[in-house]
Amino acid sequence: MSANRADRKPRLQHAWLHVFLVLFSIVAIYPVLWVFTVAFSGQQNLAFVELPPDPGFFDRFRAILPWPSNFSLQNFTDVLTQQPFLRWMLNSAIVAGLTTVLGVFLACTAAYAFSRFNFPGRRAGMMSFLVSQMFPGTLLLVPIYIIITQWLGLGNSFIGLVLVYSVTAIPFCVWMLKGYFDTIPIEIEESAIMDGASRQMIFFRIILPLAKPAVAVTALFSFMTAWNEFILAATFLEEETRYTAPVGLKFFVGGFASQWGYFAAGSIIISIPVVVLFLYLQKYLVSGLTAGGVKG
Amino acid sequence: MSIIAGSAHFEDAAAVAERAARRPVLLQPAAIGALLAAALVLALGWWFASQARVERAEDAWNRAVIMQLMALGEAAAALEGRDGATSEAALQQLLLELDSGDGYFRVVRLSGSRLLASTASGDHDDSAAPRRLSRDEKWLFDLGQALRAAVETNVSEGVFRRRQVHIELLGDERARITLPFFVAGRVAGIVQAERPRDLGVERPSMWLPVAGALAAWLAIGGLLALGRRRGRMPDPAGRHWGLLAAGAVVLAGVTLGHATLEVGALASWQAELNQGLAARFETLREDVGFLAGVASVSVDPGPGNRWDVDLYQRELGLIGGDGRIQAEAVAGDIAARAAGLYKAMLGNFALGIILLAFFTLGAATRSGRALRSNRHAYMYVLPAMFGMLVLVFFPFIYGIALSFTDQTVMNVSEPITEVFVGLANYAQILGDFEVFRSTAAGAVINYQNFYWTLFITVCWTTTNVFVGVSLGMILALMLNTRGLRFTNLYRVLLILPWAIPNYITALIWKGMFHQQFGVINQGIQMLGGEPVAWFDGVFSAFMTGLITNGWLSFPFMMVVILGGLQSISQDMYEAATIDGASKWQQFWQITLPSLKPTIVPAVIISVVWTFNMFNVIYLVSGGEPAGANEILITKAYKIAFEEYRYGYAAAYSVVIFMILLVYGVFQTRVTRATEATTT
Repeated sequence: MSANRADRKPRLQHAWLHVFLVLFSIVAIYPVLWVFTVAFSGQQNLAFVELPPDPGFFDRFRAILPWPSNFSLQNFTDVLTQQPFLRWMLNSAIVAGLTTVLGVFLACTAAYAFSRFNFPGRRAGMMSFLVSQMFPGTLLLVPIYIIITQWLGLGNSFIGLVLVYSVTAIPFCVWMLKGYFDTIPIEIEESAIMDGASRQMIFFRIILPLAKPAVAVTALFSFMTAWNEFILAATFLEEETRYTAPVGLKFFVGGFASQWGYFAAGSIIISIPVVVLFLYLQKYLVSGLTAGGVKG
Repeated sequence: MSIIAGSAHFEDAAAVAERAARRPVLLQPAAIGALLAAALVLALGWWFASQARVERAEDAWNRAVIMQLMALGEAAAALEGRDGATSEAALQQLLLELDSGDGYFRVVRLSGSRLLASTASGDHDDSAAPRRLSRDEKWLFDLGQALRAAVETNVSEGVFRRRQVHIELLGDERARITLPFFVAGRVAGIVQAERPRDLGVERPSMWLPVAGALAAWLAIGGLLALGRRRGRMPDPAGRHWGLLAAGAVVLAGVTLGHATLEVGALASWQAELNQGLAARFETLREDVGFLAGVASVSVDPGPGNRWDVDLYQRELGLIGGDGRIQAEAVAGDIAARAAGLYKAMLGNFALGIILLAFFTLGAATRSGRALRSNRHAYMYVLPAMFGMLVLVFFPFIYGIALSFTDQTVMNVSEPITEVFVGLANYAQILGDFEVFRSTAAGAVINYQNFYWTLFITVCWTTTNVFVGVSLGMILALMLNTRGLRFTNLYRVLLILPWAIPNYITALIWKGMFHQQFGVINQGIQMLGGEPVAWFDGVFSAFMTGLITNGWLSFPFMMVVILGGLQSISQDMYEAATIDGASKWQQFWQITLPSLKPTIVPAVIISVVWTFNMFNVIYLVSGGEPAGANEILITKAYKIAFEEYRYGYAAAYSVVIFMILLVYGVFQTRVTRATEATTT
């Protein structure tokens, strides 16, 4: 009897919780619904419906209800065929892909050295990686801009972006990978050395395969950083055909342009892979970030 | 953690030192250091000196052609609007007069895209000027439009940022120069010349640097030999300050001697170049003189000499309108350029000293040994370290160096030493306390002031973190309720804002805040309110950022706090319930203290994130109205990439870095304190 009473009271409380959570979830996903509405409206307008001259309450309500007045895939087909958006996506994919390859290579080798060797400068090197995380972006941005465009002549090229992205992601990736490498028992390597394996063989044939999950997370992290980066790309890339997708999306609605339909359709296409990746990766990121926060 | 020791087996350290000290004196680190340092300083010096020669020769060559083009442009402008046929003939004749063969001149009028006169090889008979530009000559018209745009930018911004003279190298041997001419103050057309470009630069002699480096080597070697005769053998791995001082003296002597000789040679050559230019100016005036007879048009460079100009078409003032060399100005020019070379040499010297110290203080020997015994480790670290050095650490130091200069986009090719201004940028940023400016209409806030931006940044960071933590906490507590259904669904929905790339989020909110069509104003009107011009008021624009960022940042806090909540043991609550504690007391006495180790690092990191949240401010409000809502980081970006003041922006960024550094120190203290209380 008493168990039943204790059971009923929370149920009632839960109803209030559900009301609040549902309301909040609506707020949380409203912008997402907004993007879908604009994207599927087939127009470039911000408004969902044409308002009558003297709109009443329900006209206004219809204007904020995220449901397009007529469905059309026009924005999606246009953005992919008439606009250079496909090109921008390809650019983004090239940049992010190269960044992933280079970033993972740089991070794995360095993390392996930090995890397995004791050499003069090891502590200093690791500390310097940590400290570099505190350098403000804008302080580095001007010199990097001068180095990349004026000295190396890589302005307006993907190589410059790839170099900067993969190098700036190194510290985070190295710390994450080092933590994982540390958990791989050293005995495996020692017995491999006994069997006459070289350092390179140990690294490529033993360590990397064993650390596959961590390497995968690092790769996805590098990919997402490059795929989502906006400021550097906007600063470095000048030609429209060279834009990466983020710069291109800003181009649709920045300044005096207001092609909101293209922007919305493009946003959806760009976001879907990262959102899926993110939801999958989120638990690794949280633990990595807060751990770094405690140490740094 | 397990570590494999370096694979090299160590010999007895004393034996190694003994053996190294017995090597010939010239192979001792101090002597090698002197040789390498001197070689570095002199090679760099030689390179700078020869670059300086090339640069002066290029300048002189350009000036000679620009002079002709400016005169030609003025003639074309004077002939514009005159009777067609005679003036066109006169212009063509002038071109022939100026043309010394092996190249060509062209005059193009932009309106009607007309080729007014030309001596290019193809432009005779049917296609002789004057005529319309043909289709494959469209680039001429485009070039003219580009130059016109450059001139208009410079005029409207009031600074000379974009070059008004276009120089194009055609291979190593030829160059083409184009510049605009003006009718009634507006760009009417362009004049162009293509010529062979034989600079005739004689490189400085190589013997001087080689001899200098050898001398430095022998000097230090001799010193070591003297010491050895007296029975003193310096340990190659030890620190020898005396040797460093001796080496520095030798190095200073060699550098100074080299610099003096090179500067002297340059100065006399530069004077010679100026004389040559003055002579060419005389001939040019005679060439142009005939126009007075043919078309009764006289073209005159004026007293300040409008023909002898730099790449922004500003008078140089080195050769007067009467053809005389302005000795004082030329001497000043020579001295200014010599100072540049001296400063470069000083920089080289500093590099040399560092190299020297590396050897004489034993670092070379020690690092050589360390490198050999740990070569595997270094091989693995090298790629990442190299990348970090080039693209993170070097830019950091370079940025700090930049902050002491007034480098802008105009003088970006000049060495840092040329634009050094000391602490002026910092004084300008930190020393300006005029947040309120009194005008006729009363006190007005100066939104460009650093302290205003700092104030906004602090407000921005605290409100955002507060909103993030409170929302995250409320939602986490709700989701953590035992027996609640659909928690996984809520969790995924609530996490969505974090998953979307934040630049997209920012742009979405920008659209939703639109004054006329944005849904937020529609919603306000639905409830009977007046639409808000979100980006016109300081407070409302601040709110746009806060709302956007609040929406972005609560999921992170929620996830972190939820993780913390789930690790709190239920036994504590049960014990508290038995003791008669209310829910409220349980929250303050159990939940919050147990969450502290999770929340503190999350707050610390989100403070840094919010402080640096560029995208939301830049993309949503863009710092509107009038830069009032700029935070430090977006302000620094705009100074750098919209005002092109790199040096000032660097100083601004250093100040930001200092603020973060102070925060970092504070943060570690707090973290330590919490760790001490919780463990």
